[in-house]
Formats: sequence, C-alpha cells, structure tokens
Amino acid sequence: MTSLRVTAATVGVLMLVLVGIMATRDSGNERMTTYLVGEVAPEIKAQTLQGELWDLDDQRGRWVLVNFFSTTCVPCVREHPELVAFAEEHNRRDDVRIVTVSFSDTETAVKDFFQLHGGDWPVLASNTERVAVDWGVVAVPESYLVSPSGFVTAKVIGGVTQEYLEGLLAEAQT
Amino acid sequence: MIRYRWILLLIVVAGALTFSELAEQPVLTNADKVQRIADDLACPVCDGQSVAESDVPIAQAIRTEIARMVDEGLSDSAIRADLVSRFGESIDYTPQRSGLTGLIWALPILVGAIAITLLGTTFKKWQSKEKIKPFTFKNKRVTTMIFIMGIALVAWILIVQFTGSRGTGDAATGDIRSSTRTLLIEAQTASDENKVLIYDEVLTIQPSNVEALTYRGWTFWRTGDYEAARNDLSTAIEIDPAFPDARVFRASQLFSDAEYTKASADLVVLDSLDAPPIVWDLVSASKLRERIASALASEGDLVGALQLLDSGISRNNEDASLLAERGWLLANTFEVSLIDAAIESLNNALIYDPTHPNALAYRALVRSVLLEDQEGAALDIKKFQDLTDPPELLVQLLQNQGLLG
Repeated sequence: MTSLRVTAATVGVLMLVLVGIMATRDSGNERMTTYLVGEVAPEIKAQTLQGELWDLDDQRGRWVLVNFFSTTCVPCVREHPELVAFAEEHNRRDDVRIVTVSFSDTETAVKDFFQLHGGDWPVLASNTERVAVDWGVVAVPESYLVSPSGFVTAKVIGGVTQEYLEGLLAEAQT
Repeated sequence: MIRYRWILLLIVVAGALTFSELAEQPVLTNADKVQRIADDLACPVCDGQSVAESDVPIAQAIRTEIARMVDEGLSDSAIRADLVSRFGESIDYTPQRSGLTGLIWALPILVGAIAITLLGTTFKKWQSKEKIKPFTFKNKRVTTMIFIMGIALVAWILIVQFTGSRGTGDAATGDIRSSTRTLLIEAQTASDENKVLIYDEVLTIQPSNVEALTYRGWTFWRTGDYEAARNDLSTAIEIDPAFPDARVFRASQLFSDAEYTKASADLVVLDSLDAPPIVWDLVSASKLRERIASALASEGDLVGALQLLDSGISRNNEDASLLAERGWLLANTFEVSLIDAAIESLNNALIYDPTHPNALAYRALVRSVLLEDQEGAALDIKKFQDLTDPPELLVQLLQNQGLLG
C-alpha cells in the first residue's frame, strides 16, 4: 500500500508542477504585444511608391518608426493625421524617420490615400508580404519604434496618437 | 513461452513504429510541401482555420512566405521553426519536442511507465494475497518490465529525433543559426572582445562579408592590433571598393599612419558614393577631412589639400567647417591673388554658420594681418569672444597674433 501511496503522491506532485508551469507561461496575447521588443529589427528592404529602394539598415544612427497599415483599415485612417503631425515635428528636428509598410493593399489605393491625407515619408507598397511575416504582423495598424542601433524598443498594436508616440520616444531615449 | 511471445510482439510493434517514422518519405513537389506545412499551421488571427484554409491577409502572406522558403530549399522543420518564432507556438498544430511543450510528448511515456509499475505492484499484491502463482519468475518479471520500458524509451527517442526533416545547414542541437545580418547588428552593442568573435562567426559563414571585415578591422584598430586592422580594411576595399564605411575607416587608419595622400584618395572616392547619413556624420564629427587637408598642406601639397576640401564642398556646399578650412589654407599661401578667394570662402562659412569658431578666428586673422582691416577683425573677435567654450587652439592662435588679450 505504501508504494501505491508514493506513486499516487508522485503523480499528484507532477500534475501540480505541470499545472503551475502552464498557468505561469506567457499567454498568446502577451506575446503579441512584446514580440520583437528588445530584438534586432528584421530586415526591411523594398521599393517605395516613387520606385526608390528603401533599406532600414541605411537609417542607422536615427530613430525609425515603422508603421504597418492598410487603406481599408479604419484605425489606420484615424491614426494617419497623428502620424503626419508626428512626422512634421520630427522632420524639423531630423531625429526620427517614419516608414509606412502597406499590407494587403494595392499601390494605386495607397498612392491615392497619401495624396489625399498627406504624409511625405517613404511608403513601401509592393511585395511587402515578406516584411509583414518577418515582423510577425497579424493585424494592422501596428507600429514599431526602432533605435539608432537597429533594435526594436517598442511595439504598438492598434492606432497611435502623436502624444503617445512622443511618450514612447522619450521613454526609449532615456 | 507465452511471455516471450509478448516480448517479441512488443519488439515488432516498436520496430514497426520506428521504421515507419524513419522510412523514406515519398518525393513531394514544392507545392505539396507548401500545402503540407500550411495545413499544419494555425492561422494567427482566425478561429479553427489553418493557414492553408484561411483567406485573411496574414494567412495569404504566410503561404507566400512558406512558398518562398520552400523554393529556397529550407527544410520543413526550419520553415516551421521560423514561423513559430514570429507568431508563437500557438500556431503550431504539431507541438515541439523540446522545452515545456516537449512535456506533451514525454508525459504519455511517463504515465505509461507509472501505469505499468502500478499494475505490476498490484498484481504482486494480489498474488501474495490469493496465493496464486501464475508467474514463477520473480526477478525475471522485473527484468521483463525494464526491458519493455527500455524498448518504449528507445522507440520514443528515435521517433523524436528523426521525425521531420533537418536541413544540412541546421545545427545538430536544433538551434536556428542567426543570420549574418542579425549577428552584425548584435555586434554593434557587444564589447570589443565579443565584437571580434561575432565578426569571426560572420566571416566563417560568409568569408566575403565586407561589413564584418570592415568593422572587425576597425575594432582591431581601436584595440591596438594595427596590422590585423590594416589587413582587414584593405581586404574589405578589395572585395567591395564602393563600401563607404571601409573607405572612412581606412582613411582614418591611413591618416594615423601619416599616409595623407592615400587617406585623401579614400575620402575622394567616398564622396562619389551614396553613403548613409551616419557615415557623413562620422566624417563631419571627426573633422577627418579637415585634418587630412591640413596635414597635406603642411607637407606642401596645397593643391591636394584644396582638392580634398573641394570634393567635400561639392557634396555639401553649406559645410561651414570645410569652407572655413578652405579659406584658411588659401590665406596661408600669402598669394595676393588668392586672398579674395580666401575671404569669400570664409564669408560663405559664416553665412551658413554665423558662430563657427574657426571661420570667425580665421577671418579675423586674415582681416587683421593680410587686409589690415582692424575694424572688421575687431568685429569677428567680438563674436569669437561671445562664444561659449571656444577651441583652445584657436584662442592661442589669436593670442599669438595679439588679437586676444
């Protein structure tokens, strides 16, 4: 009977440990908001709407805000004026660059969107599937702040405001 | 005899299972492979649909990416690992065999072993209570159980080890090797010692990697291994004469080696390249061009010095530092015909940067000594004195000429 008890106790302890481990693991949602933060930014090398090659590595030495967007996404349209204000502020200081990676959209629609809503930063709109997968983007809008040394310091899922971005930048710079 | 039949049966079953896993898979087309992998991955934003079934944009993008990786010859396991690393383990319909997820594979074996032990113990109790002795091999029973568990364990290890495919480039441990790009970026924040190790690793993977050669060379230079630095920087430029970073670092190395003409040549080549802003920031902040030009002029090669400065000015005609240096070199010829050009260059420098200390000091000297315009010189000196923390060398220069007290 003693060996049975020992076995039952062992199984019980094992189950408890297993439950404990599973309960304390990161959930999928937590992972979504932290994936890439603190990691080297994946490569972005694609053509802009103007047909020039844009390479994230060429931006070394400056902060870069990488924004994934689609013209058909309502939060993306809502956040756009905030991005324009953020870009204007930092164009003057020449300390942050913005790049938009259009996802699941047509080049024409993206061009029309930027003409109508403004924004004179590089926009990558062709063959961007690989970039989206490399960055683990699941739904737009998503924004990533990349440090001058090429590391992702912050990730935002959903729409942003200029104030929020300024806060993120200030926090990342301290 | 009956027990041996059971053992034989177990061996046959374990062997068949192992063989079925190890047996050569039928040849698949790339499209088949894409379908198979996409079928076995969950769409990250859908409920209950695989990547193969879903039509949401990210599922389409993942399918495209799987196709690209299959075409590049990556193994199934490498593709799966890559996508799981980006979207999380929750997208993987086939749990991994390592880490905590590996418990899913290990637990059945563990539970099976416990169950067998429990059964054996219980049967033993029953036998001793009922005085029935269907088995007469007390010790052999234990041996048999251990044997069965051993077979199960070996079969499990073999299945875990060989299921799926492994690419020739994959590490034996299953780790995914970092890309050279990732390594290079990681090197930026590493200590000097680790930088060299990381660049060595990159160069083992890709011996012609110019960026690794350049930055390893620069790290060697900064840490005092000058000969290794010279070799790396020269090799980098031989491989890719248009790599801007290598030109800057070698120019700096050549300047330190007092090879001013060669250093100047590297900067002139750099001016013709489309270098990223950080390279120009580096050249500007270090005043490398001005220092090389000054060294060339002091060796008597004024033309070479001016050509180097003009090359920089043609790239950025609002660079006050270069314009000031150019004006100063022209003035130092004491050629009357060049004085106007000197003053024009200094004036331009002060248009683009009205508080540039070198331009103010040089123009004050030219006005006072060469043009005998003491009033104009006094104005420049006043502005110079208003500067906070002007360079000590300029202060001494002005004091030597009696323009500063």
